[in-house]
Amino acid sequence: MNDAGSPHTSGNMSRGPMRLLRLNPLGRRYRRLEPAVQRRLKIAVPYFLTGTGVLVLSYLVFDPPVWSVWILFAVLYIVLESFSVEVNDRLFYSSGIMVVMTAGVIFAIQPGSDAVFGMALTCGLGAYVPTDFRQRHWFQPMANFGQMVLSGAAAGLLLDANLGQITVIDRGILLRVAVTSSLAALAYATVNNLLVRKAVKTVYGDDNLQPWSQMHILFTGQVTMGLVGGLIGAAYLIAGEPPAVLVLMVGVYGIGHMSLYAFAQLRQSHLSAIRGFVKTLEAKDMYTRGHTERVAEFAQMIGEELRFTGTQMETIKWAALIHDLGKLAVPTELIRKRGRLDDAEYAEMKAHAHLVEEILAEVDFLQPMVDIASGHHSHYDGRGYGGRGHTDGSTPSLEACIVAVADAFDAMTSARSYRMALSQQYALAELRKHSGAQFHPDVVDAFERGLAKSGRRWGAPHVNDEEMARRLAEEPELTLRG
Amino acid sequence: MADWNPRAVAALSWLYPIAVGGFGLYFASRAATDPFTLLVAATALVLGSLVGVATSNADNRFTTGLAGAAAIPFVFSGNQGVDLAGTLAAYGVGLAAVWALRYSRGEGHAELLPVMIRRFAGYVTYTVVYSAMRVGPFQTLTGDWVDLPPFIAALVAWLAVEVMVRAMLVLGPRELSRSYLARAMLQDLNVFVGLALTGALFGELWAPLGWWALPIALLPYSFAHSAFRRFQQTKVTYKQTIRALARIPEVSGLGVDGHADRTTALAAAIAKEMGVGPAIVEQVEFAALMHDIGRVSLNEPQVLRMGYTDDDIARWSAEIIAESPFMERVADDVRHQYEAYRKPGEQEDPAISIVSRIIKVAAAYDWKLHQGGSTPLQALEALHAGAAYEYDPEVVASLRRILGARHLLSPSRA
Repeated sequence: MNDAGSPHTSGNMSRGPMRLLRLNPLGRRYRRLEPAVQRRLKIAVPYFLTGTGVLVLSYLVFDPPVWSVWILFAVLYIVLESFSVEVNDRLFYSSGIMVVMTAGVIFAIQPGSDAVFGMALTCGLGAYVPTDFRQRHWFQPMANFGQMVLSGAAAGLLLDANLGQITVIDRGILLRVAVTSSLAALAYATVNNLLVRKAVKTVYGDDNLQPWSQMHILFTGQVTMGLVGGLIGAAYLIAGEPPAVLVLMVGVYGIGHMSLYAFAQLRQSHLSAIRGFVKTLEAKDMYTRGHTERVAEFAQMIGEELRFTGTQMETIKWAALIHDLGKLAVPTELIRKRGRLDDAEYAEMKAHAHLVEEILAEVDFLQPMVDIASGHHSHYDGRGYGGRGHTDGSTPSLEACIVAVADAFDAMTSARSYRMALSQQYALAELRKHSGAQFHPDVVDAFERGLAKSGRRWGAPHVNDEEMARRLAEEPELTLRG
Repeated sequence: MADWNPRAVAALSWLYPIAVGGFGLYFASRAATDPFTLLVAATALVLGSLVGVATSNADNRFTTGLAGAAAIPFVFSGNQGVDLAGTLAAYGVGLAAVWALRYSRGEGHAELLPVMIRRFAGYVTYTVVYSAMRVGPFQTLTGDWVDLPPFIAALVAWLAVEVMVRAMLVLGPRELSRSYLARAMLQDLNVFVGLALTGALFGELWAPLGWWALPIALLPYSFAHSAFRRFQQTKVTYKQTIRALARIPEVSGLGVDGHADRTTALAAAIAKEMGVGPAIVEQVEFAALMHDIGRVSLNEPQVLRMGYTDDDIARWSAEIIAESPFMERVADDVRHQYEAYRKPGEQEDPAISIVSRIIKVAAAYDWKLHQGGSTPLQALEALHAGAAYEYDPEVVASLRRILGARHLLSPSRA
């Protein structure tokens, strides 16, 4: 599809650049564009053209929908799409599929009308959401138009093929409608997913949209919504197409969707509020500002290397954010103490791992994160001090090991009251030295890979041993000479 | 409204099922619908009342019984309009049974009676308006557009009555003001309307589909229902988290155990008693939870060296809160929590919000009670004495009413 729909790239190869430059001013402009824009065009143009082609073709081949019903559904669909809802990390949830399926079933069953064109057109129009225009995005709506038309047409074809021959409309069609609309929703979700995945891969160069392992959540949602939508369409037909029913249904849909939208907004603002709260609480009394943020960043870097799913990434991020919350309850002089802690002080420090459990005991949604956070001082070989459920000799969870590595790395590469920041080189060497004992070897490996990929360097460049770092902190003038 | 005598409330409450049940039986004898169908409708109301619906405000307790009530006049419709007597009969019998059910589950009369009266008034208004509208072009239920105006008019009337009765009828300890209750209802308008629309949808589908109408009408609703639930869960989770974080100074031994929790409960009660809107009540709750969060700074060595005042703690708390998006709106309230509500020669200080004034009173009361060893009466007297400049007299008066309603001010307790 990419080759067929992209005149610029194919022309470039077959006819040579000179001729293209002379004949086609657009070609010259295209070559002058930044690579990022080129990649976007490579998706937007073919998607848009294919979509338009399919739309025209379906208009010529199939019957048009009943326009009065179509307008009602198209308006509702566009409204719902512009309020699409992000329920889980990176998982967009739209009740639009429900509305489209209701309309599609009605068009497919009614004599003299077909589903394909009506559905494709509705979906295509739904791609033009106001936010894109407000943010001056031009590629997204074009590409989305194409992939939505294709998704809608795929679902419509299935509906027409399976429901088009129905002549007697009674309760007997319900089962058939249920099966067909589920399948159609599956087709819609699959086409949509494949095309979006391809677009994201081309434009951003990664396949990081939503891991395939998590796909079933998306598909289950879409199929259920499609099934419900289809059944409602059938009910409307069986009831003798009463417009009042349609209005009432649209009303309940609308209220439900708006509540879901409000929920998503609330969730987002709540999460950011809690996150901000945790951050400022820590900054208030921690030796370094930004420690938790950096640990979260490192933990996510490791998670990405270990191919964590969206939910796992979310968990590890939160675990890192709260991992030191218990330390707030430890007297500051202990945290800032120079030199070694005595036994009593060490015991008090150890207690902070448990305090995070106590503080967050009643917060259900943070419990998995609390487990990880309270385990971040346990060692891979079972030593160290851990939180609840930790017994000597038991291996901490992979997530706890990740936070442990991230925490240790940041502790070494940031300055302390009693010593300078150590170099990244030194910190990595330390991690490697204790890999397999204190640290999880896989995690250390993944972290090294992630750091190398990110290309950033942490810590002071030349401080390569602990003794020197301590001396530098005690005698600042050494820094100048060093 | 003065406090109601609990015995009078109980007597009225016991009268309710007799009166409403009698009302139902009277109309049952005049109904066009057969007794069996009436019984099915009444049973549906009772079953519906068993299924609670998630709402964002805990003072709104809706059940799917509302949808059932909305559906009955549709179902009892023929070509001659609505069987009004039949509908009223189903409501009467159904509500009497709902009362019995809720009473047997241990609900107190003071809570139960206002809700049940509200339901009865709302249902009857709805069905009377609906059947009065079902004349002329609206007489026959056809599934066409003309079905909608009578329903919409009836729904609006129902809502108006629900809000009005809520505002007028507060029994028992007067802790929730009328104005608060009326406004709280509007917070969950979407749930209420969603339920009513679902009932109407079932009613419209009943004639062509029969019992198939039930699953099909419930399909769109189940989607809305899960949305309501998620919304509610989010709010709960958020409060849990903030509450947990607000306890950090206490866990660290830098605050007084339970002070934040108790202050929050009391401040919220005062706010509701004073009749502010639900949004302000929420603000009071958050500000009260976090009013002492600045105490986390109290183990900083230089703070311990230099010493600090209450005002410093308020400032630190506000600084922490202000950094966090979505919470910054309460930062100012927390900032001013220890300031006098007015200065000599001023009417009041506009910078000190009602939220700050409430927290000042609630926190001071809790402090005197749990740190100062005062009795409730002594603590209240101290606040009264400070009502010239320190404590807002209206807030103190509200606190007095609440303590009085909780029977904490009798000298025998002192």
